[in-house]
Amino acid sequence: MKLRHRLFATKDPYDSEKSGLFLDACKENFNYQITHCEDYKKICTGLKMNSSEDIRSPADLPILPTMLFKQHKFRSARPFIVATSSGTSSGRKSVIGFEFSAAMAALRMSLKVTKYHGVISMKPCRYIIMGFRPTRKNKVAAARTAYLTTFLAPAISRKFILKPTPEGGLKPDFDSIVEALRKYEKGRHPVRFMGFPSYTFFLFQVLEERNIFFKLPKGSKIMLGGGWKQFYQEAADKETFYRLAKKTLGIEEENIVEFFGAVEHPILYCDCSHHHFHVPVYSNIIIRDPDTLEPVPNGTTGLVNLISPLTKATPILSIMTDDLGILHDGDTCPCGVKSPYLEIIGRVAPDDIKTCAAGAADILEGVKV
Amino acid sequence: MILFDGKIYESIEQNRLLDELAEKIPGILQREPLSPEIIIDAVDRLREDTLAGRFDHLLTSFPEDVVETYKLQAAALLSKEHLWNKVKTELGNTEEYVTDKLEGFSRIRVKKVPLGVIFHIAAGNMDFLPAYSLAEGLLAGNINILKLPSADNGLSLKLIMQFIEYQPSLKDYIYVFDTASTDIQGMRRMAGLCNAISVWGSDMAIEAVRGLAPTGVKLIEWGQKLGFCYVSDPDNVDSLDEKLTGLAKHIASTKQLLCSSCQVIYVDTDDMGKVKSFAEKFMPYLQKAVDANRSQEIGIRARDTLVAYTARLKRYLGEEEVSDNVIRGKGTSLILKSDSKLELSPMMCNVLVKPLPKENISKVLYEGRYYLQTAGLICPPAERKELTDLLIRCGLIRVTSSSDMSAYFPGESHDGEYALDRYTRIINIQEDVL
Repeated sequence: MKLRHRLFATKDPYDSEKSGLFLDACKENFNYQITHCEDYKKICTGLKMNSSEDIRSPADLPILPTMLFKQHKFRSARPFIVATSSGTSSGRKSVIGFEFSAAMAALRMSLKVTKYHGVISMKPCRYIIMGFRPTRKNKVAAARTAYLTTFLAPAISRKFILKPTPEGGLKPDFDSIVEALRKYEKGRHPVRFMGFPSYTFFLFQVLEERNIFFKLPKGSKIMLGGGWKQFYQEAADKETFYRLAKKTLGIEEENIVEFFGAVEHPILYCDCSHHHFHVPVYSNIIIRDPDTLEPVPNGTTGLVNLISPLTKATPILSIMTDDLGILHDGDTCPCGVKSPYLEIIGRVAPDDIKTCAAGAADILEGVKV
Repeated sequence: MILFDGKIYESIEQNRLLDELAEKIPGILQREPLSPEIIIDAVDRLREDTLAGRFDHLLTSFPEDVVETYKLQAAALLSKEHLWNKVKTELGNTEEYVTDKLEGFSRIRVKKVPLGVIFHIAAGNMDFLPAYSLAEGLLAGNINILKLPSADNGLSLKLIMQFIEYQPSLKDYIYVFDTASTDIQGMRRMAGLCNAISVWGSDMAIEAVRGLAPTGVKLIEWGQKLGFCYVSDPDNVDSLDEKLTGLAKHIASTKQLLCSSCQVIYVDTDDMGKVKSFAEKFMPYLQKAVDANRSQEIGIRARDTLVAYTARLKRYLGEEEVSDNVIRGKGTSLILKSDSKLELSPMMCNVLVKPLPKENISKVLYEGRYYLQTAGLICPPAERKELTDLLIRCGLIRVTSSSDMSAYFPGESHDGEYALDRYTRIINIQEDVL
C-alpha cells in the first residue's frame, strides 16, 4: 500500500496535481481486494471487471452500495478497528473494519484537513457534545467521531447532552446544558459544541423560547457532524441555524464548522469559508444517473458515488450512498479551493433505510420542553 | 407516536400505556361487542371526504396518477354497499341460528363472534395496509392493537384518527403503537395482551412473531407469496399483443412488490432457445410499460435503481451461477435461467424467465407450495381450462389473465381464506336447557 501512503501523506488536502496518484492508489487497492476478498472477486466477475487493466478512471471501479454493506458482511483483512453505522429500525447496520495502517492514514488526513480549516488549537476549551458518551460496547461511529474531535484542542471538560434513561434509552438533558453554559459564559475558556446538528438546533430553540441568551467567550465554535444527512431533513435551513447561533450563544457564522463523513467512506470533509464541501485529494466523488448509474456531468443531480483507497480491510473502495447530490465546479466557489464541491439534495425514497439523523429525531419526539 | 383512547401520546409512554391497556381490556370485553355498522359508517364517511378532496394535502407525496387510481378504488371499495357485501361474503350467515333436533342430543345456538383482542403487525410494502388490516379487525368486532411498520410515513395514523373523529365510540377498540421491530420486549407485551396475532410479512418476520407469541395465541399469518405468469404456445394465442402489453403493465405498475406480482415468467418448453426468443419478443413491451410508468420523482427512480443493483450484486455473491443471459433495458431487465424454481426476482421490473414444460408443473409447484398464490395465464383458449385446473390442483389460489394478476376481485379470498372469518370464532350455546 505504498501508493496509499503517498496519497495520504499529501500536504495540501486540496492539491489539484494528485489525480494520477489517486487513480494508481485505487488500482493498488482494487488489486488487493480482488485477491484477498472472495466476495469482492465474485462481484467483479459478475460485473466483468477482472483486472485493474479494465480501470481507466475511478468511475470504472466496481461500485458497492451502502445498502449491500447493511445486508452482507465483507472482510478482506484482519481489522484493527471495527466501526458500525448507526442502526436502522430494522436493525441493519454496516460493519466496516479498518487495519492499523488505514487508521493511521485516516489520522494523518484528519490532522491535515482540520489544520487547513483552522480547527486545531492549543488553547484549552470546554466541550459540549450533542451526542452520547461512547462506551466499550457502543461502536456507533457517530458517537466516536464526536468524542474524538474533542482532542483537536485540549479539553478542560466534556459534557454529553444525551443521558441514559432507566428504560435503557437515551434522552436529551437540556437543563444541565443550560446550567453549564451559565457557568462557562463567565469563564475565559472557549466552548466547543460538537455532534448531531438536530440537537444543537433544538438547543437554540429551547434557549430562544425561554428567552435565555449567552455571549460565550471568544474563540467558541460549533462543530457539526456525526453523520451527514441531517440538514435537509431538518425543518431548519442553514441561514436560520446561523442566525440562532448568533442570537442564543453569541457565536458568529465563521465559527460554525461543519464536517461530514460516513462509516462506509471515512474521509473527513470539512466546509470552506463559503460552507461548501470541496473534495479533498484522498477521495473522488462521482454523481450517477438515477436510471442507468452512468456518470453525469457536474451540475446534474444524481446518486452520490464516493471513492477512496483508504482501507484494505473492507472493500469500501467505491461505494454508492442512498443520497442524491450535485457536484459543482470548484472555480464557482470564491474560497480559492479549485476541487469540485458536493451539495446534498436529499435522499432516495425510503426503503427501510434510516439514518442516524432520523434516529436523533425519534428520540427528540419523546421530549417535552 | 402512540394512539390510545383517541389521543396521541409520545412513544416513551409505551410501557405505562400498555399497563393501562391490560387493565382496560376486561372492561371493554364486558360490554356488547362493536357492531359492524359503526366502522362501516366511519369508512363510508372517509370515502366521501376523500372524494371531496379533503385529504388531498396528505396525498401530495404520491404521483398524481396514483392518487387518481386510489380515489377511483376508494369510491368503489370503501362504499357502504361493498363493505356490507364483504361482511356477508366473508362471514357467511352472520345471523345466529339453532341447529335441527337430532334424537338423543341437545340443540345448539350457533353464532360468529369476535375473537377478542387482535394484535396486527402490518407490513410496509403496500400503502394503507396497516389501516386496512385494522379496519378488518374492527369489522369483525374486535379490540385492535396495531404495530405500525417502520417505513410508515404517518399516513396510517392520520387515517385511523379520522375513523375515531367520525365515530368516537371506536376509540375503545383502537390502539396504535410505533414500536420498532427490534423492541422485542414491547412486542412480547403486546402479544401477551391479545387472543390472536395477525402478521403480514416475510418468512423472517413471521418466524420472529412465532418466537414471541405466547403458546395458545391464535396466529393469523399473511405470508409472502410469489406470483408467476405461465405462457403456453404463444404463437397460437389470440390477441397476444394485448396480453403481453397487459403483463408488462402489471409488472411496471406493481414493480413486482406485491404478493400477486409476477416474479417469474414460465415458458412451456425445455428449450432455452425458445425461452430466449420469448424474452426478446417481450422486452419491447416491458420497456414501453416501464418508460410510461417511470416516476417523475428522482428519489423514487434512484431508489428503484439502487434496490435492483443491490439485488443484482447479491446474486453474484450467492452460490448460484452468474447468468450471462440477461436482456437489459433501461431500468428493466429479463433474466434468463435454465432451472424452473419458483423464486423471488430482484424486483423493480427485473423479471426471471424460465422454461417449465407442462409435465413438470406439479413437481415445481409442489416444491414452492408455501409461496403459491397468483398465476397469470397466456395460452390458447382451448388450453385455458385444463391449465387452470392443473394450477389449482397444485395449490394456486388465484388464476387470472396476465394483465390482472394484482387486480382486486370483489368477493375474493385472501390466500385462500376470508380475513373476517379468521378474525371471528364460531360459538355454540346449548339450547333446551331448563
